[in-house]
Amino acid sequence: MPSAPQPGDPAPELALPDLSGETHGLADLPGRPVLVSFLRHAG
Amino acid sequence: MKVRDRWERWEALDAAALFVVFDDPDLIRRTMLDGIDPEALPFPVLVDRDRRTYDAWGLARARRRDIWLDPNVYKVYWRLLRAGDKLRPGGTDVYQLGGDFVIAPDGAIAYARPQQRDDRPPVGELLNAAKASRSS
Repeated sequence: MPSAPQPGDPAPELALPDLSGETHGLADLPGRPVLVSFLRHAG
Repeated sequence: MKVRDRWERWEALDAAALFVVFDDPDLIRRTMLDGIDPEALPFPVLVDRDRRTYDAWGLARARRRDIWLDPNVYKVYWRLLRAGDKLRPGGTDVYQLGGDFVIAPDGAIAYARPQQRDDRPPVGELLNAAKASRSS
């Protein structure tokens, strides 16, 4: 498994479906700061 | 989702947010969202069932002792139960860790905090990173 990206690194690719199946990703949000928050388990 | 409660501060920065989860969408609707319509949220909740994106972003699995010997876990449960919350079924993998990243407008990582255990940075720290990423 790769190590987590560090400040200054290019962001790894991210494009995933939402709960309705529509795909969203970083490529849809150019020129804006983006918070990417990976959550732990639901519940 | 503390970010949602202070969303106007993200809007003021013209920042976006993507939340990523790995559990079954039905479980997410029943527990994490607890009746909230995901369409009503100002950011998408994305599902990574096979956790390939978690892996690509280097998000590790916790050691058992980092979860079950962490007193904060019990403090959180106690606070929730005292507030009248009910115990809910856990997700599919309690050891999978998450993390928070702020991506600068140029696509570079401006802030990285992969979890080592069940902790999260304060929202203000994330906001400051997003703000700083605009001026760097």
